[in-house]
Amino acid sequence: MKIEKMSFEQSIEKLEEIVKELENENISLEESMEKFETGIKLSSNCLKKLNEAEGKIEKLTRSGDGKLIASELDLGKGNK
Amino acid sequence: MEDHKTLNSNVYTVSELNSDIRKNLESNYSNIWLEGEVSNFYFHDRKHMYFDLKDEGSKIKVVMFQYYNKDLIFDIKEGLHILINGYVSVYEKRGDYQIVALDARPVGKGSLILAFERLKQELEKKGYFDPAHKKKIPSMPGKIGIATSAGGAVIRDIISVLKRRFNNFHLVLRDVNVQGITSDDEICKAIDDLCEYGVDVIILARGGGSLEDLWAFNTKKIAEKIFDCSIPIISAVGHETDYTISDFVADKRAATPSVAGQVVILDKTAETENLKEMRKKIKNLVKSKIYIFKKEVKFLIDRKIFAQPRTMLDGFGQAADEARIKLVENIKEIIAARMRTVSDYARLIDKKDMLKKVQASRTVIGNINIRINSSIKGCLGSKKSKLRLMLGKLQERNPVVILNRGFALIYKEKADESIKTAAEAEINQKIRIILGDGILKARIFDKIYKKLELGLKNEN
Repeated sequence: MKIEKMSFEQSIEKLEEIVKELENENISLEESMEKFETGIKLSSNCLKKLNEAEGKIEKLTRSGDGKLIASELDLGKGNK
Repeated sequence: MEDHKTLNSNVYTVSELNSDIRKNLESNYSNIWLEGEVSNFYFHDRKHMYFDLKDEGSKIKVVMFQYYNKDLIFDIKEGLHILINGYVSVYEKRGDYQIVALDARPVGKGSLILAFERLKQELEKKGYFDPAHKKKIPSMPGKIGIATSAGGAVIRDIISVLKRRFNNFHLVLRDVNVQGITSDDEICKAIDDLCEYGVDVIILARGGGSLEDLWAFNTKKIAEKIFDCSIPIISAVGHETDYTISDFVADKRAATPSVAGQVVILDKTAETENLKEMRKKIKNLVKSKIYIFKKEVKFLIDRKIFAQPRTMLDGFGQAADEARIKLVENIKEIIAARMRTVSDYARLIDKKDMLKKVQASRTVIGNINIRINSSIKGCLGSKKSKLRLMLGKLQERNPVVILNRGFALIYKEKADESIKTAAEAEINQKIRIILGDGILKARIFDKIYKKLELGLKNEN
């Protein structure tokens, strides 16, 4: 599976797996270099994902014609 | 209007009036909730329920048809306090007005607990609480849906927890009444809306309250909605000690609404730390691996064979030289020893003496030859005359000679098998008659048994 397409959970799981594999002394140098590269890519990807989401709070309502509308909510004023 | 109707504008037939009243009542009281005490309860054939609901000063008739009462999670009985939902109608045959009940709920702690336990058992039996059905809550949902009251403290608590854990969270709030008789319907609708909008997880949240206050989260309707929902649902209702049906059916129970804020998304700071820690670990592991490999390589490079490969050969060259010298010496020694042996033998042989010995031996051999020749000749002579005698005797017995004298041999047609007696032959059998000068092919046409005496002529 491509790293970019992995979910956050899958990436973390894979990272943990890589750490465990690298801790194994029998791994060859080539393999550890490969794992290292994947690991760095995975962690960068996760860090990016943690920050890429746009923070917002929306309120979901139905309009008169039954359409779902999500409008930004200002919570400071305790909007209802 | 027509004339006679205008004249008698106030005169109805009974049926007309009852029908009119029915229509009026049904449209004016189409969806009402009514609370009261059950009396005159009559469960006709265990199908339709008829009873009165009363308070201190009044009472009203109620009918609950089988279709609506079959799924009740409690037993309606005399004296019980209940809440019903339905519409007012008229039984035109008798002109009685009554409530047609569509739903009924127990009122009062005791009844509620009983109903709760009964529903819980029923759902458990159906497998609604089975861990196998529980969906995994994503650790970093893109959109978090929440169904709760927009005005309450609950939403504020959850938002403040979310802000602390993951400042760029995306929350989609669907405002619902979390208390009141229709709140379970509202919450079910909210779940549908959030699913339609597309969120990754849904929180159902409500602050603490009495069993009655939390009742919206204890109905069969909401249990079925949660169970059928394809998006993972976190139930966060009441205080830590409050348990609702939604808590059991949901994919995860959060003890309180603030806990839901912790469960629904990972802690960004901690996760960032964790990720950086893992990165560091990976780097260090690879670094130390490279260091070990480097050391191994250096160790190899430092070995004499790589550093001064020629010195390695020097030793071998010397050994080879020594071996060669030794080999040559050994061979020389062996040859010398052999030479000595040969000359010893040579000395033993005297040439003249040898010639004499050979001459004498030749004479002896010549004599022996002569003797052998004459003895062989004699032997051959007697053998030859014996042979001639035997050939003569043999000639007399030669079967060809006998055949030439008029005798015949009889053979079967094909096989090399002779027929020696009449008994052996069969009628119609093909045979070969062997004569001295040729073969006759014949067929036997008859057999006559007759023993030939000496001197008798052939029967032919």
